[in-house]
Amino acid sequence: MASAMRKLMFAGLAVLSASASGHHSDAMFEHGSVLELTGKVKEFQFTNPHTWLQVDVIGEDGKVVEWSLEWGSPNQLGRQGIRPSTFPPGTAVTVRTNPMKDGTAAGAFLGARFADGKTVGNWQE
Amino acid sequence: MRRTEVSHLSIASASSRAGRLAACLIALAAGLLCSVESRAQGAALPDWSGVWSMVGGTVFDRETQTGEGRSTTPGVREHPPYTPEYEAKYAANLVLRDQGILPDPNSLCGIPTGFPRIFNLPDVYEFAVTPKQVWIIAENGPNVMRIYTDGRGHPPEEDRWPTHTGDSVGYWEGDTLVIDTVSLHSSEQGRTFVDRTGLILSEAAHAITRMRVAANGNMEVQMTIDDAKALKAPWVVTKQFARQAEGTRVYDYACNENNRNPIDPSTGWTFTIGPDGKIIDQKPAGDAASEQ
Repeated sequence: MASAMRKLMFAGLAVLSASASGHHSDAMFEHGSVLELTGKVKEFQFTNPHTWLQVDVIGEDGKVVEWSLEWGSPNQLGRQGIRPSTFPPGTAVTVRTNPMKDGTAAGAFLGARFADGKTVGNWQE
Repeated sequence: MRRTEVSHLSIASASSRAGRLAACLIALAAGLLCSVESRAQGAALPDWSGVWSMVGGTVFDRETQTGEGRSTTPGVREHPPYTPEYEAKYAANLVLRDQGILPDPNSLCGIPTGFPRIFNLPDVYEFAVTPKQVWIIAENGPNVMRIYTDGRGHPPEEDRWPTHTGDSVGYWEGDTLVIDTVSLHSSEQGRTFVDRTGLILSEAAHAITRMRVAANGNMEVQMTIDDAKALKAPWVVTKQFARQAEGTRVYDYACNENNRNPIDPSTGWTFTIGPDGKIIDQKPAGDAASEQ
């Protein structure tokens, strides 16, 4: 898979997605940086206090790395139309995240785009 | 037990009610038991039904939102009006916050956020008005604050102890609920912070809160907090809550269901747990978290 990961610089996206900051410190995220990852949905944990999107991304060395992307509470997202079925396992997806500062394969979820062009969350072309 | 009987006088106007509350507070300060009056018999209670959501971010002082030292710059912040001792304590907490190692008990799950933080939460709220009590119900937490409006006063000092939401009694001034809150935990003993920037108050904190639906339709909550130990002057904070669309639902908030960002209480580090249940990130380097 070519270019499964690339760094973007969108000023408008360099913010923590709504509600992901409500429960705990968000100092671990690099808010000025947006990383774009392409992979397959492994799991969408529609749980409190935060939802987590697990995405399998193939790195440059060909190995699969599981990324953990933290989003808002299921309650808040549920009121905005997000459902446990929003990210079906196995679906190809491109996601954008404010990555962790320490390089861990995790970050604050910003938005996603599916192969059919449908987008979820904060996504600007 | 001495009781100052101010609860059965005939009250003709809002101003006289305010005067009675003032008399009540003076009585409380003198160590007397005091009651504020319940709403006039038969008067309709305001309709605060529906679901509400706080307007703005979850820090009280918006100047501290971004951190990175800006909030510790003298003159930048307007509130709270700390004494020099507490200003230094808060500044130290802001540094920890900027390093990601502020040991905020709110991240532990299961501990009430308490007052005044209960009016500073994400997710949604319900304000349940009943003839003898008002309940502030925050989905986040969840957190509940009870305000007795049946005319009772605070228990005498020897019969109360600090709690997260304290002891609140209130009365109706027209459609405005006036709440008197005492017996709050100090936020210096690791039990709570007033917000996630590490804002603190002492055990001497006392608040008068006024709740009403403002002209813009929002619930307006104005808190006037005095704290003889921590503040040079009363700290006035106003939060607004917007009514959500008709039919909006409120859900469970099970904080421990899948908390992948617990904190290490000994270092304050908020760590991240991976899908296999193991910690996946690294402690911040070169700070207190790595030295303890």
